Amino acid sequence: MTSTRAGSSNVLSGLSRARKGVGLGGRSDRPPRPPRRFSNRSITLALLVAPSVFLVVLIYGYPAIYSVFQSVHNGNLVNPGAYVGLQNFQAALHNPAFWQAVRFTVVFCLVGVFGSWVVGLALALLLRKRMHAPGFFKTLLLLPWVVPVVVTSTSWNWLVATPTSPVPRIAQDLGFGQLLFLDSPGLAKIIVCVYKVWLSFPFMMLMASSALAAIEEDLYEAARVDGANGWQLFRRITLPMIARSTYISWILMFIFCIGDFQSIYLLTGGGPVGSTNTLVVLAYETVFGNFQTGPGLAIAVMMTLVSVLVAVVLYRRIRKVEIS
Amino acid sequence: MESVEATPVNPSGESGTGKASTKSTSPRWRYTLAVLVIALVVLIPVFVTVMLAFRPQLQSRSHSFFTLENFSYVFSQTQVLTWLRNSLTVTLATVLVAILVAAPAGYVLSRSRSKAVSGYALLLFIAQSFPQIVSIVPLFVLFAKFNLDDNLLGLAIVYVSMTISVATWMMAAYYDSIPVALEEASWIDGCSLFGGFVRIVLRNSLPGLLSTAIFAFLLAWSDFLIAVVFLRSDTHFTLPIGLQTFFATNSTEWGYVMAASVIVMVPPIIVFSFLHRYFSVGGIGGALAGH
Repeated sequence: MTSTRAGSSNVLSGLSRARKGVGLGGRSDRPPRPPRRFSNRSITLALLVAPSVFLVVLIYGYPAIYSVFQSVHNGNLVNPGAYVGLQNFQAALHNPAFWQAVRFTVVFCLVGVFGSWVVGLALALLLRKRMHAPGFFKTLLLLPWVVPVVVTSTSWNWLVATPTSPVPRIAQDLGFGQLLFLDSPGLAKIIVCVYKVWLSFPFMMLMASSALAAIEEDLYEAARVDGANGWQLFRRITLPMIARSTYISWILMFIFCIGDFQSIYLLTGGGPVGSTNTLVVLAYETVFGNFQTGPGLAIAVMMTLVSVLVAVVLYRRIRKVEIS
Repeated sequence: MESVEATPVNPSGESGTGKASTKSTSPRWRYTLAVLVIALVVLIPVFVTVMLAFRPQLQSRSHSFFTLENFSYVFSQTQVLTWLRNSLTVTLATVLVAILVAAPAGYVLSRSRSKAVSGYALLLFIAQSFPQIVSIVPLFVLFAKFNLDDNLLGLAIVYVSMTISVATWMMAAYYDSIPVALEEASWIDGCSLFGGFVRIVLRNSLPGLLSTAIFAFLLAWSDFLIAVVFLRSDTHFTLPIGLQTFFATNSTEWGYVMAASVIVMVPPIIVFSFLHRYFSVGGIGGALAGH
């Protein structure tokens, strides 16, 4: 029963694409046919979104105002404290730990976005090849994203953390000497980034798969007839055809990476000596570890501003990305 | 689509020798093998968890390679069952409410192109780009006033709002695939806008609803940050938090930790393996680009 419904609506989806401009809204090409009482329409629409607007305001709007308020006070979780102006912000900007976190946040986001995109796209392309049970393998490859981070961070820890863990032992057998993966700042950063790519590539693979599925095979046929090789097909057809979806997946992944707390905190706790702190982890540690609500929220407010600004600028450009 | 690919038409016809036919099938095996190897390597951390969960503790006298000792310890000596019940309660509540909120909101996002709705789309996007850390401290203070901290209801409220943007986009993406003509017909027959939405659109949206439900399930089930800030008493812990306490008190007892880990990962894997064919995030792009 369910599968018939899924099937029928998929058949209809092509139809709707052609008609997509015909909505209820004001600016479509053809005036839609609204229900009889026109004014009822906007009231109904407003009521339909009301619960979600209420939640967004409660869970994002109120906290945003409160955070900005607390970031200019020296209070704690119980007591608002006295007004201190921009002191908390100045303290953060003069703190080397803050800049270290800024640098690692940038690296973490870049590797998280583009690393997982490359791996995800490569696997999505591979899964389109003729093979046995592609659906089964696709589901298997989604597991890093489906299994909770609390679980996978534990097993990654078991694999790399101590000198007697399997990965350091293998590295030693291969002649790399004794590597302390989570105890040396450089290696810990690499492990955290690799872990993030491992967690995120399935999402990118899903986004890429559905974009690739929409490309018409005729395009490739025509190009092959013209003598294009595999790389040219990829460069001139595949990439341009999935450009918009790729761009959107980058934006989403950027948001997921910059706000990511648990994968870093659970794997390294921000250590060793703060080398894998991102701004989120640093803010959390400042608020809940050192009980400095004001300074912690000052960091959080600054990174939220950057996150929202970058995201909105990128979002505004979505429609400009050419599908060609 | 797949069934078409699964039966490739051999242009050389039946006249080909056995050698020719192996030649046409061998790349298929090669790709299968390549993906298999990749999947095995990628999933090592998952295998490790399962393996250690069923392996006897090092100091145990048993010499077998398989044991349920770790599980019987975890179930009898820890509060894992309570945590499991808490996690299931919070997650199911989140899924239900997220759908109740996102399904109608997605409809507006999908069908209306007015200025106000564009503003709403932007609002959803900004909410999604808010790092949770900036919300969590004020919410903790606010919820404490209403005794909603250290409380599963409070947790579910936060989870619902965390899912709301993506859930709304997913629903909108699905509605985009349902022709407006169907509703228009129902309006002519005298249905109201709301009636058309419920009777025509929602009734044909089961895959979209399931997809959204899976997303909300995964998010609520896996959350660590909100739960670790909100929950204090161990009878209110969800599984991810319970697992951490475990880790701290039994840091060397990997068998117990991994057995508990298996309990944490089984529900999402079950949900996903049964419903994965409905799960699609690809449409989000369309929903985002539409406004």
